[in-house]
Amino acid sequence: MPPRKNLVETILFAIATLVFLVVMPALNLLPEDSTFHLSSFTLGVWGKYLCFAVLAMSLNFLWGYTGLLCLGQNLFFALGGYALGMYLMLMIGPDPVYKSALPDFMDFLGYKELPPHWKPFHSFPFAVAAVMWVPGLLAFIFGILAFRSRIKGVYFSILTQALTYAASLLFFRNDFTFGGNNGFTDFKTILGHDLRDPATLRGIFIASGVLLLLTWMLISWLLSTKFGKVQQAIRDSENRVRFSGYSTTSFKLFVFTLSGVLAGLAGALYVPQAGIINPSEMVAAKGLDVVVWVAVGGRGTKIGPIIGAIVVNLLKSWATREFAESWPLILGGLFVFVVVFMPQGIVGLPAQLRDIKTKLATRKAATTQPA
Amino acid sequence: MIALRTLLLTFLVVLVSGSRSFAQATEAPTDDVRSVLTDLITGNGTEEDNLARLSEFGDPVIKDIVEAWRVGKVFVSPGTEPDTQVALLKTDDGFVNIANGQAWQGDPSVASVNRASRGLRKQLSRLVDVLDLASPDLSKRADSAMKLGSGQSPDFLAELQTRLPKQTDRKTRRAFEEAIAISQLANGSTAEKIASLELLGERHLIAARDFIKRMREGYTTDETPDGQLILVKADAALASIASFEKKVEFYGTLFRGLSLGSVLLIVAYGLAITFGLMGVINMAHGEFIAIGAYTVYVVQNFFAAHFGEASSGYESYFLVSLPLAFLVAAFFGAVLERTVIRFLYKRPLESLLATWGISMIIQQALRLKFGAANVSVASPQWLSGSFDANGVTMTYNRIFVIIFALVVVLFTWLLLRRTRIGLHMRATMQNRAMASGLGIPANRINVFTFAFGSGLAGLAGAFLSQIGNVGPSMGQAYIVDSFMVVVIGGVGNLFGAAVSSLGIGMIDQSLQPILGPVMGKITVLIGIILFLQWRPGGLFPSRSRSLDD
Repeated sequence: MPPRKNLVETILFAIATLVFLVVMPALNLLPEDSTFHLSSFTLGVWGKYLCFAVLAMSLNFLWGYTGLLCLGQNLFFALGGYALGMYLMLMIGPDPVYKSALPDFMDFLGYKELPPHWKPFHSFPFAVAAVMWVPGLLAFIFGILAFRSRIKGVYFSILTQALTYAASLLFFRNDFTFGGNNGFTDFKTILGHDLRDPATLRGIFIASGVLLLLTWMLISWLLSTKFGKVQQAIRDSENRVRFSGYSTTSFKLFVFTLSGVLAGLAGALYVPQAGIINPSEMVAAKGLDVVVWVAVGGRGTKIGPIIGAIVVNLLKSWATREFAESWPLILGGLFVFVVVFMPQGIVGLPAQLRDIKTKLATRKAATTQPA
Repeated sequence: MIALRTLLLTFLVVLVSGSRSFAQATEAPTDDVRSVLTDLITGNGTEEDNLARLSEFGDPVIKDIVEAWRVGKVFVSPGTEPDTQVALLKTDDGFVNIANGQAWQGDPSVASVNRASRGLRKQLSRLVDVLDLASPDLSKRADSAMKLGSGQSPDFLAELQTRLPKQTDRKTRRAFEEAIAISQLANGSTAEKIASLELLGERHLIAARDFIKRMREGYTTDETPDGQLILVKADAALASIASFEKKVEFYGTLFRGLSLGSVLLIVAYGLAITFGLMGVINMAHGEFIAIGAYTVYVVQNFFAAHFGEASSGYESYFLVSLPLAFLVAAFFGAVLERTVIRFLYKRPLESLLATWGISMIIQQALRLKFGAANVSVASPQWLSGSFDANGVTMTYNRIFVIIFALVVVLFTWLLLRRTRIGLHMRATMQNRAMASGLGIPANRINVFTFAFGSGLAGLAGAFLSQIGNVGPSMGQAYIVDSFMVVVIGGVGNLFGAAVSSLGIGMIDQSLQPILGPVMGKITVLIGIILFLQWRPGGLFPSRSRSLDD
């Protein structure tokens, strides 16, 4: 019943719009002593969750709808973050200790002037463009290499992990001009607005909400087009699609590049809210985290990754607080349980329960009938 | 020439040593070092004589007594026999008789401090400097000779030359000759210098290069014919050393590459079975490695508690822990297969997620049990140390890992190809349903295969405990490499995994000196991605007519 499904999606979309763009920012505006006041800190945390949700959606677009499991989605996320981080670093302004306009880590390393590839990042539009084209270009090049030689399935996953691993090694180096181990931090302003000002944070939160809703709309629209049908057909049987005369390579390349761009945008909005970006965002474990969000929420569904990203992160922040020692046991156990017993994730849970109910009913009928 | 000179010198020394006959001085003295010391202190016999006798010993006790003598802790007392004296060493709890090392029971009031004369002190301190030249430990003797030679002091040169003819061991003798040659570069005549250069060039002694260079700088191009000759000889010696060094470097890289490849092979072989053969993307592979390493740690502590760390029983703990590491990891593998993996054979990508969860759980369990910090695992004596094969240093644990890797490969091959259960394994891995239909107990084979792969990971961990850190997240460092090895080798091909791990190890080690460790690794990873462009199925792709394989 497609129409009804669309109706549900429309209602959910409306609720999300209301909550993320109106209710939460409004609660933040209430006076601080009000019971309903939402602190800027909490808003910032939710802002990060929204960015994670977009990251999960970008992976779901790739994995859930095209069947390509990328273990390096966090690499594109981090690259987007680094691109905006470069702009934010340059906006810090002259340093009182070193009396130079260079980022601190460059003063440490004895740079006299800005490396050439840093110079254009004084411009905000350039930085935003870089947020999209840097991850996009990397995804495009890697995609050409991988899809042309028909690397797929598990091999694709492992290679993306290796790529991420290589990139993190590179970014951990001090002489790579991206701050090495420590990355970028101590941001002060964005577009002239103070990053500690609640109004600025609220603005970035709303921007994250808008990005999430736009991504949702874009993916939803793409999936309803002929392109989306081919894309899902590739997931179900790539060979049949190819034999039908479609260049599956181009389709996959487009999907991979687009998902890289979306992840980069999410990373860019994440950085001012987290206040830091460093190579630990690129380690292999983070890439697997994203996969887990999608799997827990329900892959191949539009709302699943959003729910998964928010639920898993809420659970993680709760578990780390309550069970400082044993939270990985809880989270690890949850993943195993979800994978083994809930292949459709949280979103698929009602259908799964219905299935079980009907199965039980038929079994009951079967046992009572023969008499 | 050198021989003649040394002979002469020996003769001179013998003359100086006075009344003692030639034969007695050169023969290895049978009398005890302590009695000689006593003679020297109490003035029994002439000083020169006693010194000459003393120089034949390399006993460290000489150093202690000389030091004590210098600070006024050596006493003499009249002995029980008339006209004899006892030499005593004053310690914190009374006097010790130097002659026998036992506590002295005599009357302390009659003991008086004995001090050596200035001349004697000087000679003694020289004697202590060259003490190790007479050390009974031959490698210590050779090291000492090289050290004294490298000092290029003329005093020690004479000492070395005196002692050269007495060296019967071939290696020690060579060390003495080389030490003398290095010293002569600074102290010898022109003829000696030339002879030394020839010797050093012939022996291509890398340690001598800087000395030759320094000597060469002392000569300009407009030299006397002798100087010219020295320059030519020096250049020849340097060239010979340089070409030898290149050779050593090449074989060193080869050896290091082979041993790194063997480490990779051992680490990846378990994965080649669980992932390559069974199709389970086992992200917990690294944690099985950690389980193996912690097993070694537990066994080590057990042995230390029951046998003591100094006993020979403790030395063998590693041999005991190898099979245990295999069994413990295999047991956990079997449990994992029964509880989780068996539901996921048809969903390989989801096995990745589930095993990722498992890996989190195991890591945290290890952290809770053993603490988050790395634990220390001591290498047994027989695994530490190294030997020098013509300039290439080979540590025993690196040699052990190569042999170990060979054994693992051979054993796995025998199991899979030569036993009934291996046949069943291969059949089940190719087609579970078909194998099951033909009466193979597929479930049991699945458990066995997964446990075997996990056990190999445990063995790898046992070995890694000897060369790296043992910590809860130690396995993470190897997981990407392991998958790379399996993919490059061709999934499902164990022989391919062996070849690719050795290849990756070699390439990594040859790139490292040029690019540094990090850039070398990055280059290897990018190289792997590009290699798969050329051969998407790896080195030895599995042949199949199925479209989706």
